[in-house]
Amino acid sequence: MINPHANPELHPLADIDQVIHASARLMVLTYLYVVESADYVFLMRLTGLTWGNLSTHLTKLEEAGYIAITKEFKGKKPHTTINLTKQGRTAFREYKRSLQQVLDDLPD
Amino acid sequence: MSQKISLKDAERKAFRTTYNDGLVDVFLGCFFLMFVIGPYLSASLGDFWSTAVFLPFWALVYLAIWLIRRYVVTPRIGTVKFGQARIAKLAKFTVVMLVLNVIALILGSVAALSFGSVPGQMTSIIFGMILLMGFSIAAYFLDFNRLYIYGLLVGLSPLVGEWLWTHRYATHHGFPITFGTSAGIMILVGLSIFVRLLCNNPVPKVEIPS
Repeated sequence: MINPHANPELHPLADIDQVIHASARLMVLTYLYVVESADYVFLMRLTGLTWGNLSTHLTKLEEAGYIAITKEFKGKKPHTTINLTKQGRTAFREYKRSLQQVLDDLPD
Repeated sequence: MSQKISLKDAERKAFRTTYNDGLVDVFLGCFFLMFVIGPYLSASLGDFWSTAVFLPFWALVYLAIWLIRRYVVTPRIGTVKFGQARIAKLAKFTVVMLVLNVIALILGSVAALSFGSVPGQMTSIIFGMILLMGFSIAAYFLDFNRLYIYGLLVGLSPLVGEWLWTHRYATHHGFPITFGTSAGIMILVGLSIFVRLLCNNPVPKVEIPS
């Protein structure tokens, strides 16, 4: 965990949302940001994550309130649809802005 | 990281995966089979019925593709709903294609009413241009790059066919050869993509609750 008081130069990095910053979750959120909703299989295929891995990351994102998971039955088969919440969309935009700012401020 | 991260590319990739199952290619190939078999049927059935006879065939192919998509492809690739920007682009595509179809219909009617006074080469060029435009517009709006190549293939088919026919290398304006080649390529490409999709994407066993 970063202590922003220890090194003031790290402040912008410490502000970056750590829930989004993990590469797998960033990948999931990127795809959910550009579509309205997607199901489990679609996300798994696009991100290349396994069932278990994707499930763990989705739980974390759901706990943060960034995504909404809807479970239903299509015939006799369970079907899970995932979409980005308003909070998630705002957080993703904020993450994008913060990261861009940190990288732009870096010297060449 | 050498790859450029782009949200537009991510959306495009997500959109492409929804139709890149080869079935569109197979359907297009089956559609152009009309120009391969139709000319042989027109001698016995006449121009109208030799075309109309394909309607149930296309309906059958469409139904088969719909069923395959629903029961074979979707369980493997999943489902997705796209955002407003993509829906707006698809709506624009529909309008542009409608306009192109109306233009094609007018040009076709003018050619039919002129009772053969329009030279064959001219008809072939116009027909080819309309096909090329249709495919290029679809390729652009659907981000479906293969359609540019298909557009070139079917766009050149009437012209090359006419040339083969005038030089007595082929019958029926060369359509069975040129359109047959185009349709064959589309069907083969489509089938190979479909088989690859089946091999690379097995159906997940069960949905694990998250």
